[in-house]
Amino acid sequence: MFRRIKDKNIRDDQIVYHSLRDSSIIRLFVLPVIILLVAINVFPLFWSLILSFSNYSAKMVTEWGKNPEMVGGVNYSKILTDPDMWYKFITTAKYVVLSVSGEMILGFGLALLLQLKFKGRELITTFLILPMTMSPVIVGLMWKLFYDPNWGMFNFLLGLGKIDWISDPSRNLYSVVIVDIWMWTPFVMLLSIAGLSAIPKYLYEAAEIDRASWWSKFRRITLPMVYPILLVALIFRTMEAFKIFDLPMGITGRGAMAPQLIAMHLYNVSFVTWKTSYGSAIGYIILIVIIAITSIFIKYLNKAKQ
Amino acid sequence: MAEIVKRKKSISRYFVIVLIIVITVIYLIPFLYIISTSFRPWTEILDFPPKIIYKPSIGSYIRIFTSRTVYPPGEKLSDEEVANLKWYERIVYNETNEEVIRMGDLPRRYLNSAIIGVTSTVITVILGTICAYGFSRFKIRGKDDLLFFILSTRMLPPVVVVIPVFLMFRYLNLTDTHIGLIILYTAFNVSFAVWVLKGFIDEIPIEYEEAAMVDGYTRFQAFRMIVIPQAVTGIAATAVFCFIFAWNEYAFAFLLSRKVAQTVPAWLPYQMGVLGYDWGAAAAGSVLFLIPVLVFTIILRKHLVRGITFGAIRK
Amino acid sequence: MKKLLISLFTVVLTFSLIFMGIGCKGAVEEAVTEAVEEAVEAVEEAVEEVEEAPEEVTEEPAVEQFITIHWAQWAPADYLEKLSEGFTAETGIKVIVEQTPWETFVQKYNTEMIARSDAWDIIVGDSQDIGNMAINGHYVDLTDWIIENGVDKTFTPASLTYYAEYPKGAGKYYAVPCEGDALGWAYRKDLFEDADNMAAFEAEYGYALGIPESWDNLKDIAEFFHDPDNDFYGVAIYGDNGYDSLAMFAEQVIWSFGGELGDYATYEVDGLLNSEGAIAGIEYYHELFQFVPPGFGDAFFIKTNDAFVAGIVPMTTNYFAFFPGLANEATNPYAADTGYFACPPQVGSDGEERQFAALGGQGLSVVAYSEKQDLAYQYLTWFVKEETQMEWAKLGGYTCHAGVLESDEFLNATPYNPAFKVSMEIFKDWWACPEYDELLRTFSENIAKYVVAGDGTAEEALNKCVEDWEEIFEAAGY
Repeated sequence: MFRRIKDKNIRDDQIVYHSLRDSSIIRLFVLPVIILLVAINVFPLFWSLILSFSNYSAKMVTEWGKNPEMVGGVNYSKILTDPDMWYKFITTAKYVVLSVSGEMILGFGLALLLQLKFKGRELITTFLILPMTMSPVIVGLMWKLFYDPNWGMFNFLLGLGKIDWISDPSRNLYSVVIVDIWMWTPFVMLLSIAGLSAIPKYLYEAAEIDRASWWSKFRRITLPMVYPILLVALIFRTMEAFKIFDLPMGITGRGAMAPQLIAMHLYNVSFVTWKTSYGSAIGYIILIVIIAITSIFIKYLNKAKQ
Repeated sequence: MAEIVKRKKSISRYFVIVLIIVITVIYLIPFLYIISTSFRPWTEILDFPPKIIYKPSIGSYIRIFTSRTVYPPGEKLSDEEVANLKWYERIVYNETNEEVIRMGDLPRRYLNSAIIGVTSTVITVILGTICAYGFSRFKIRGKDDLLFFILSTRMLPPVVVVIPVFLMFRYLNLTDTHIGLIILYTAFNVSFAVWVLKGFIDEIPIEYEEAAMVDGYTRFQAFRMIVIPQAVTGIAATAVFCFIFAWNEYAFAFLLSRKVAQTVPAWLPYQMGVLGYDWGAAAAGSVLFLIPVLVFTIILRKHLVRGITFGAIRK
Repeated sequence: MKKLLISLFTVVLTFSLIFMGIGCKGAVEEAVTEAVEEAVEAVEEAVEEVEEAPEEVTEEPAVEQFITIHWAQWAPADYLEKLSEGFTAETGIKVIVEQTPWETFVQKYNTEMIARSDAWDIIVGDSQDIGNMAINGHYVDLTDWIIENGVDKTFTPASLTYYAEYPKGAGKYYAVPCEGDALGWAYRKDLFEDADNMAAFEAEYGYALGIPESWDNLKDIAEFFHDPDNDFYGVAIYGDNGYDSLAMFAEQVIWSFGGELGDYATYEVDGLLNSEGAIAGIEYYHELFQFVPPGFGDAFFIKTNDAFVAGIVPMTTNYFAFFPGLANEATNPYAADTGYFACPPQVGSDGEERQFAALGGQGLSVVAYSEKQDLAYQYLTWFVKEETQMEWAKLGGYTCHAGVLESDEFLNATPYNPAFKVSMEIFKDWWACPEYDELLRTFSENIAKYVVAGDGTAEEALNKCVEDWEEIFEAAGY
C-alpha cells in the first residue's frame, strides 16, 4: 500500500482539492445518509401520526375536511377497546415467545455442538445458514406445499396422519412458528458461536485445574460470557418476529382463518378494506410496543455489559 | 485409564459429529423437496404418498418461462402438427395439453430483481462507506446523537411507515417504478451499512492516511487509495447483506409494484393457471430465484458469517 | 436550541428531497424503464429469433396505436389477449392485456385510480367494486353508449344488472359484461353411475343417486361418499376467507334457502340477513363443510380443482372459468368421466323453491383518466359484436351475449357450457356499494368462525354480522 503512494506522481493542479475544507467534506459525507433516512423514515412517521388522528381512506378521493377529517383519538380508543384487537396482540405475543424461545434454545445448543472442531465444520455452517438468506415468502411457499395434508411430505415424513397444518386456526400459528424456527435458529447459532469463540481460553484452563464439572464450567463461565450476545440475538429476533408478515403470507395467506398476527391485520385493514387512518393507528401502537420491549431488553443488556 | 478416557472422548466426538450431520440433513430436506418437486411432471406432484423415484421432466421450468392457454376440450393436434411444434412447445403439449402463447413474465421480474438489488446495493455501499468514514474520522457535532439516530431508524419496524410510504409514493408517482424501490431499499439498508462499515473503518489506523496526506495526497485520494482497499472485506460483506435484503424483500415490493418494477418475490407465489396452482412452476421459479443467493452464500460464506455477527455485535 | 435547529433542518431537507425527487424522478425513471424495456426486448427478440425464421414484415402505420387492458392474472385474460389479435388484425390497434395476481388485483387498480393514472384504458374490474369506481368517478358512464350500440338488447339482462349497472335499478351503466361467471359443479360420472354405488345409495337414502336435485340431496351424496379412512372425502367446497370465496358460496346457499343479504336499495339488513332462511343456509354450509378433505379451511378455486384432480372427492364446486382445467385430459386423469351441473334448487322452509348461483366474472370499463378513450370505445364496439362474442366463447371465455348463449354451437362446444347457460339465468351478486370490501371482510370473518371452525351458532354469526354491517352503513351515511 505504501508502495503505491510512493509510485504515485501528484500533479500540482490536484492541490486544488486540498483546499476543500474538512467541514464541507463532513457535510458531503454524512448529509446524504441523514437526508435519506429523514425522508423515508422520519417524515413518514410524522405523517402516519397525523393520519392516525383522522378518518382518511386511501380508496376514496381526497377532499379536505371530509376525507381526511380530524377525528381525534377515536381510532386509538376503537383499537384498545376491541376484543378482537387484543386477541390479535395476544396471538402475536404467543408467536414471538414461541418462535424466539425455540430459536434461542436450539441455536445456542447447535452452537455448543459446533464448538467441536472437525473437518467439514465450515461446510455444515454454510448449509445451516442457507435458510436465513432466502426470501421468507418463497420459504413460506415451499413450506405450504410441504405442509399440505393431502399431498405434502411433512406429515408423511413424520409418520403423522392427515393433519391440517395450514388452514386449521388452532394449529396454523404453530406451523408458522416451526418455519420461523427453521429459518432463524442459525442466526442465533452464528451469534452464539461468535460469543463462544470470544471467551478467553485461560478461564477454562483455570477451571480444569479446579476439576470443575462440565455443568459448572458451563454455568459459571460460558453462560455469563455469552449472555450479552444472546441478549442481542434476543432483541433482534423479538423485533423481527413481532412484525412478521411475509412468512405467514407465504404459508397461510391473509384470510380470517390464518394466524391472527398483527402485521397481517394491519395490511388487511389498510390495503384491503382501505381504512388507512385506522391502520396508521395500529402501526403506532405496534411501534410503541416494540420500543417498550426493546428498551427493557437494552436495559438488561447494559446491566450485563457492566 | 488414560486410554479409556481417550476412547470415551473419541466416541462422544463421533456421536456429536453424527448428530450434527443428521441435523444438517434434516435442515436441508425442504430444499431437496422443492428441487425434486421442480422436476416432477405435472400429474405426479399431487400424488400421495409421493414417489421417491420418478421420471424427471423439465416441464415445470418451461412453464415458468412461458405463458400458455389450455386447448379447448376435445381439440387434438394431428401428429403432423405435433411434429411441427418446437421442442419446448411439445413438452408443454404432452404434459399439460397447453399451447405456448408467449414468453412468460419470469425474465422481466428476474431482471427487475437484479436491477433493483444491484443498484440499491451499490448506492447503499457508496453512501454507507463515505458516511461511515465521515463519522469515523471527523469531529462532528452531535456525533453520538446522529449515530443513535441512524441506528434507531434501523430499529424502526417497516410496518409503521408502510402506510405513509405508500401514500408518499402515490403522490410522487413512484409506485411501480424501479427508482422508488431502489430509494426504499437503500434507505432501509443504509443505517446497517453505516454501522457495520464504521466498525471496519475504525479498525484502520488513522496514521496511514495522515502519512499519505503529508506526502501530498488530498483527503479524497487518501480515502480512495488507503481506506477503501483496507476496508474492502467489510464493504464486500455489507454489499452481500444489502443485496440479499433487496433481493428477498417482499412486503414493500408486493405493495408498491405491479408490473414495470415488480420483483420476483412479489410475483412468484401467485402462479395460478386455469389448471390449478402450478406447484411445479412455482418450485422451478423458487429454485431459479434461490440460486444467486445460494451462490453468494457459498462463495462469500466467511464474510457473510462475519457480517451477520459483526453487524449484530456492533449494536 | 440544538434540537430545534435539527428539527427545522429536518423539515427543510425533507421538502428539498421531495422536490429533488419529483425533478429527477421522471428523467431517471424513464432511462431505467427504457433500459429494462430494451433488455427485455432484446431477450424476447433473441428468443423469437431462435424460434422462427424472420417472417415478412407487413407495412404498419407509422405511429403504432395501442390500448392497455388491466385484468387479473388468470387464463381468461390470456384468452382475451388471444381474442384481441382479431381486433388488431382489423384495425391495426395493438391490445396489451396486463395481468395482476388476484391477491392484489383490486388493490392495485384502486391505487392507480386514486392517483388518476392513465396506465390503462380499460379495466376488467370486479362486479362488486363497480359502485366504488363509479362514485369516485374512475369509470366513464357508458349508459348512452350501451343504448346506442344495443348492448342492452343483445346481452342478457341479468348480466347487465350485475356487471354494469350502478346503483342497481337506476339504469346507469359503467361496464360491458366481459367474462360471465358463476359457481357451478363438477362431478365424477364414473362414481355416480357405478352400479354398486347406486344400489348402496338407494338402499341408504331411499332415492336414486344422480345429479343432485336439491341442496339437501347434494349433502346426502357428500355424506354417502365421505370415507376419510380411505382418503376419500365427500365434497370440495370453498373455505378460504381472504377475499370473497367463502362469502360467495355462503350467499348462494342463503338465497337458496330463502334468506337475503339485505335490501340493496335501503341498506336494511336486520331481519333479512339473520332471517330463518339465511340461518338455514349458513347451517347447511357448516354441515356440508364436515365432508371436505383435510386442510380445506383455506380452499379456493385452486384447491378444489386440485382435490378433484387428485381423485379424493366425487364432486367439487368452482367458478366456470376453472372448469377447462378439469376437462383437460393431460392434467386431470378423470377428465373423460367428469360431468358438470349448475347449482341445484332448494325448497325453503316456506315451501317455495329457489335456485341461485353466486356470480363471479367481470365487466369491461373505460377508465376516466385514459387519454385514448376513443380507441377504447372502438374496442368495445368490436367486442360486443356477435361474431366476436362467439369467438370469445370458443376460446374459453364466458360470454354474456344472449344470442351466443342460446346457440347450439355454444352449447355443444364444451361439456360444461350447458350448465353455464343455466347458471347465467339464476345468478345473483353481492353488494356493489363502495363499502363492499368491508362488508365482505366482516361477513367472511363472522361466518368462517362458524362454518369452518364450528364456533358458536349460525344465528350468532349472522347477528354479529348484522351488527357490523349496520355500523358500516351508518358510518357511510346511508
